[in-house]
Amino acid sequence: MPEALTNTLRAHRETRGWTQADLAERVGVSRKTINTVENGVFVPSTIIALKLAAAFGCAVEELFRLEA
Amino acid sequence: MTQSDIETAERLGRRRTQMLPAMAAIFAAQQTVFFIPADNASRLVDKVAVGGWILLSAVLVLLLWNGGAWLHSKSVRALLNDEVTRAHRGEALSLGFVLSMGVALVIYATAGIEPMQVREAIHIVVSIGVVVAAVRFTMLERRAYADA
Repeated sequence: MPEALTNTLRAHRETRGWTQADLAERVGVSRKTINTVENGVFVPSTIIALKLAAAFGCAVEELFRLEA
Repeated sequence: MTQSDIETAERLGRRRTQMLPAMAAIFAAQQTVFFIPADNASRLVDKVAVGGWILLSAVLVLLLWNGGAWLHSKSVRALLNDEVTRAHRGEALSLGFVLSMGVALVIYATAGIEPMQVREAIHIVVSIGVVVAAVRFTMLERRAYADA
């Protein structure tokens, strides 16, 4: 069964008033990575997912969700 | 890792998506070397052309293999070759490898019908692999930079 990973990265980022560059700097990745993850083009590694969650101060499950 | 590093990496990454296809185009244009008859290949100009092809092949393979930006700081290189780029490089190199192997098998299979010199065969296999990988990597990177 195909599964899709959805995320609420953009919503979390915009709530805080951060740009993609701001988030990229906090996580230590390129702006391209933030952009591709937000758009669902790229599925990040566990390490990046944990860093993103840490940057927002939330659980990874709040950022990423599997949808059947 | 600073904002400046991120900006530098972004600038270099975008430049790479412009430089790589240009290098691949120059590389493809150098295929005229392939048509040099063997008896004329001893001319100095032909040796230079073959040397240029070998050098450009090596540079493109290295660029695709480790991402380039060799003269920049470790943090900029890390940003320039982060997860997304490594995945793109992996996909591009895989496609280049598979097509190279396919071409090599075709050359091997048709060797009885259409004999080919070793040098010509290697030239075709390397050229296909390098150009396909470079084009694929550029496409993936440009898509990733769109809207960024």
